[in-house]
Amino acid sequence: MTDMRGEREKKPAATREAAHIAGVNHYRFRRYIGEAGVYASIIILISPSILFFLWMLSLSLKNEADNTAYPPVFIPWPPTLDNFIDVFAKNDFLTYTINSVIVSFSATGLALLFGVPAAYGIAKTRAVKSAVLILVARVTPGLSYLIPLFLMFQWLGMLGTLGPLVITHLVITVPIVVWVMIGYFEGLPVALEESALVDGATIWQAFRYVSIPLARPGIMVATILSFIFSWNNFIFGVVLAGRTTRTLPVAVYNVLTFEQISWGPLAAAALVVTAPVLLLTLFMQKEIVAGLTAGVKT
Amino acid sequence: MIGRRSLLASTAAALAMPAIIRQAGAQSTFDWKRFKGQTITVSLTKNPRADNLQAHQREFEELTGIKVLSEQMPEQQQRPKMVMELASGNPSFDVTHYSLHVSKRVVGVGHWLEDLRPYLANPQLTFPDYDWADMSAGALRAATQPDGRVDSLPVETDIWLVYYNKQIFADRGLSFPQTFDEMLATARKINDPSKGIYGFVGRGVKNANVPVWTSLLLGQDQETVTPDGTKLLTDTPAAIWAGEMYKSLLRETAPAGVVGFNWNECQTSFMQGKIGMWMDGVGFTPPLLDPKVSKIVDHVGFGLMPAGPKAHFCPVFTDAVGIPMKSKAKEAAYLYCQWATSKQMALNMVNMGGGASPRVSTYNEPALMQHSPFGQEWLKTLLASVKIARPGLPEIVPVTEFRDVFGIALTNMIGGADPATELRKATETFAPVLQQSLKT
Amino acid sequence: MGTTTIGTVVRRTAAPRRRRNYVRRYWMFTIPAAMVVAAVIVFPWLFTLFMSVHDWKVSGNVYFVGIANYVHLATDARFLWAVARTLYFTTAAVVLPVIIGIWAAVCFARKFRLRGPARTLFIMPMMATPVAIALVWTMMFHPQLGVLNYLLSCVGLPPSAWVYSASTVIPTLVMVETWQWTPLVMLIVLGGISSLPIDPYEAAVIDGATPWQMFRYITLPLVWPFIVVASVMRVIDALKAFDTIFVITNGGPGTSSETINMLLYQTAFGYYNLGYASAMVVVFFILIMGLSLIVLKTRQQELTL
Repeated sequence: MTDMRGEREKKPAATREAAHIAGVNHYRFRRYIGEAGVYASIIILISPSILFFLWMLSLSLKNEADNTAYPPVFIPWPPTLDNFIDVFAKNDFLTYTINSVIVSFSATGLALLFGVPAAYGIAKTRAVKSAVLILVARVTPGLSYLIPLFLMFQWLGMLGTLGPLVITHLVITVPIVVWVMIGYFEGLPVALEESALVDGATIWQAFRYVSIPLARPGIMVATILSFIFSWNNFIFGVVLAGRTTRTLPVAVYNVLTFEQISWGPLAAAALVVTAPVLLLTLFMQKEIVAGLTAGVKT
Repeated sequence: MIGRRSLLASTAAALAMPAIIRQAGAQSTFDWKRFKGQTITVSLTKNPRADNLQAHQREFEELTGIKVLSEQMPEQQQRPKMVMELASGNPSFDVTHYSLHVSKRVVGVGHWLEDLRPYLANPQLTFPDYDWADMSAGALRAATQPDGRVDSLPVETDIWLVYYNKQIFADRGLSFPQTFDEMLATARKINDPSKGIYGFVGRGVKNANVPVWTSLLLGQDQETVTPDGTKLLTDTPAAIWAGEMYKSLLRETAPAGVVGFNWNECQTSFMQGKIGMWMDGVGFTPPLLDPKVSKIVDHVGFGLMPAGPKAHFCPVFTDAVGIPMKSKAKEAAYLYCQWATSKQMALNMVNMGGGASPRVSTYNEPALMQHSPFGQEWLKTLLASVKIARPGLPEIVPVTEFRDVFGIALTNMIGGADPATELRKATETFAPVLQQSLKT
Repeated sequence: MGTTTIGTVVRRTAAPRRRRNYVRRYWMFTIPAAMVVAAVIVFPWLFTLFMSVHDWKVSGNVYFVGIANYVHLATDARFLWAVARTLYFTTAAVVLPVIIGIWAAVCFARKFRLRGPARTLFIMPMMATPVAIALVWTMMFHPQLGVLNYLLSCVGLPPSAWVYSASTVIPTLVMVETWQWTPLVMLIVLGGISSLPIDPYEAAVIDGATPWQMFRYITLPLVWPFIVVASVMRVIDALKAFDTIFVITNGGPGTSSETINMLLYQTAFGYYNLGYASAMVVVFFILIMGLSLIVLKTRQQELTL
C-alpha cells in the first residue's frame, strides 16, 4: 500500500488524472466481469448442494424398478409415496422421532440452563482460559466418552431409558452453548448492568433481568445450533440406545435391509431423518449464520 | 413354468396341517401355559431366521400365554451390543439369537449364557416331542462348548452352495462345474465386461469375505486352524492355493466394486441377471425367487459346492438361541427357545427358505420331499450339502479379529497383492492374538 | 442479603475491592456447568486413562500392565498406517475446504439478489444429518447402478471405482467431507470479512488496485485470524471424522480408509480390547491437540505482514 502511494506521487498531475480515469473505467469493466464472475461462482458453489438434495428426493419418490434402472431415472412419473409409507409402517419411526425430539430438546434445554450462566460467569471474570476446557470437549473423540459412560449407566441401572442419551448429549450441547454465549456476553454493553447493580440489584438479578434479555438473539442461536448437532448425533445412539430408545440417525442406519437394494425406502428414511434440521436451517439461516460467526471473535 | 409363489403357498398350507395335530398331541401331557402372563424380550439378528420366528410369534404367544417383545437388528450392531450387555451383567433381553461362528467362544469364556442341559433333561420343561437327539451331529457339536456345556439351541445350519444363472449357462452351452478349477474356467468363459456380464460374484468386503476363502480351502481338506484350535494353518500351500483361486475369481471374473460387496450387494447383482455364479449361504434364496425384486425368477439354479483337488466339502455356519444367566424369566425364555428350535419351526424355516434345518428329521419329512418350496434342484442340493458340511470358521475367541485380519489380506489380493505374501503377513499378525486368547 | 450495603460500599471504595467481590460471585455462575463437565467429560477421561494401563478385555480378566499398551501402539503396523492415512485424509480435508471456503466467503460477501436463499442452499450440507447424507452418497457411488458413474459416462469419462478401490477411496471421502464442511469455513471467514473496515478498500480503489491485489494485501491479512480459527476447527473435525467413513466404507476396502477413529471403534467394539483402545484414545487426543496448537501458532506469525 505504501509502495503504491509512493509511486503515485512520482507522476505529474495531468497524467495522473488521465490514468485515474482510465483506471476507474478499467476498474468498472473489470467490476462487471467480476460481477458476472461472482454469479458464476455462486452457481458453481451451490450446485453440488442443490443437485445432491434433488437426487435424494428423486430416489425417495421412485419405486424399486425405477431405482435399479440404468441409465438412472431422474424424474419418476408417476412419483410414489410408497417408500415413505413403508418407512413408517415397517419401522417404528414415530417412536424414534419422538425419542430424537425428547433427547435433543432436553439436552438443549439443560445445556442452556447450565451453559448460559457459565458463559456469563466466564465472560465476566475474563477467564477465557477455562474456555480451553471447551476445546478439550471438542477435541476428545466421541468414542472415549462411550465406554466409561456406558459402564456408569450400567451400574446406575439407567440403560433402557432416554436418560443416558440426554446426559451424553450434554457433551455436545453444553460446549456449543458456552462457546456461542461467551462471544455474546463479551459483546454486551456493560453500562446497563452497571447501572442495575448501582441501583441495588444483586449480580444474579442483573444477570436475569438485564443481561439475558439483551442476549436473547445469542440464546436463540445457541438453542438452534445445539439442537441441530444433538439431533444429528449418531455415535452415542449406536452404543447407548436400546430397542425403544433409539434415535433417528441410528434408526435410519438400521434400515439397511438385507433383501435387496431398497434405495427407495432408504432414501425416504434418510429424508425423514434430516428434514427437521433442513427446515430449521431454511427458516433460521440468518440466526445460524450469526451464531456460528459470533463465538469466533475470541 | 409353475409360479414358485403359488407352489410355496400350497406347500405351506399342506405342511401347516400336521403341525396343529402334532402340537395338539403334545399339549395333552405337557403344560405349555405354565408361565402364562410373563413377558420375555428377544433380541434377533436381522435375517430370514428372525423373519420366520417373528412370523410365527403369535402362535407361540397363543400357545403359552407368554408375551414376546422381539426385535431384529442388523448383525454389525446386534453382535457387539449383545456382547457388551452380557459382559456388563445386565442384559436387556431374555433370549438372544446369535451366530455361533462369530460369538460362540467369547460367550463361552464369559460364561454368560445359561447351561441348558438340566432344562433339556427336565420333562416338566421340555415337551416330549422336542427330541434333542434329532439334532444333527454338526449342530450338536456347534452348540456345545469345549467344557461340555450346552448353552444354546441350534436354529439353523447355513450351508454354502453356488447359485447359478441357468439362462446364462444355457446360452453358452455350459454345464455346472464339478470342481473349483472348472468353476474358474466356466467363470472366465462367461465373463464379458463389455456387455456387463460377469462370471462370478462373491463377498469381497473384509471380514465377510473369509467364508468364501474357507470354502475353497475345504476343497484341500484343510481348515484354518488345527483341530485343537492352537495353531494357525493359514499360510500352508493349501491356504495359498485357496488365496490364489479367490484372487482369480474376484479379480478377473467379478464386477467392478466387488471389493466392497457383502452378501446383500452380491445378491442384488446376481438378481439383476448379469452374473453367472454366486457363492454364498443357502439362507439367501427367497428374494431370488421373488418376482417383485428379482429379474431372474425363472432361471435360478442351485449348484452343490464344487469339489477341490483333495476333498469335497461345503462350509456350514450355525445360528442359535441362548438365555442369559442373568435373565429374570429363564423358564419362559426356555419355552421360547425350544419352540423356536422345534421340528415344526425348523420345517417352517426350510419352507420359507430361511436356511438348512439342524434337525435330521426335517429331511425325512414326506411333504417337504414331495413339494419342495423352491423346486427339486434346491432340495437335492440342500440334502447333498448337509452330508458334506464342515465348519467354515475357526472356533476361537478372537474370531472377529481373525476375520478382519484375513479379510483384509483377501481384499488386498483382489487389489492385486500376492496371496502368499498377504497370507504370511496376516498369519504373523494374528498368531500373537491367538496365543493371547488361549491364555485367558 | 445486604446488597444495598455492598452497593454503597462499592460506590465509595476503590476499584480493586469491587472487582474482587464480584469475581468470587461470578464464579458461582459456572458451578452447575462445571458439575456437568465433571460428570460427562472429566470422569470418562479419568476412566479412560485408568483403562489404558490395563489389559482390559470384555470377556476375560483385567490385568494391570503399566505402559505396555502404549509401547505396543508404537510398534503396531496397523495403528501406524492408520495414523498415516489419518494425516493424509486430514491434510486434504482441511486444505480443500479452506481454499474453497475463502473463495465462497469472498463471493458471498458481496450483496447480490437472492443472496439469502443462495446462502441457505450453500449451508444445507453442513446442517443435514451426516448419517443420512452418507447413505445417499453410498447409493450414488454404486459402480454399476450409481448416478455418479452415469454422469461420468455422460461427459465421456470412464467410470470411477469411487470408494471401491484402495487408491481412490480416500480422495472420494475427502470429496464428501469437503462438500459437507466447506460451508462452515465459509461462514467463519465471512464473519471476518463482514467485520472489516471499508477505508483500506476505498483507498485501494483510488490507487487503481485490482480486485486480486485488494484481496491479497488487504483482505487476506486482516481475515487471517478467522481463517486460522476455521482451519483449526477443520483440523479437529477431520481428524475425528467418523460418521461418514463408518457408514460409507467402514474402513474399507480392506483397511484403505481406516483412520485412527475407525480403528479405535473396531478395537473397542469389534475386538473388545478396551485397554488397548483406551491407550489409542489418549495418543489420538495428544495428536489432535498437538496439531491444533501448531495451526494456532500460525495466527501470530501471519499478522506481521
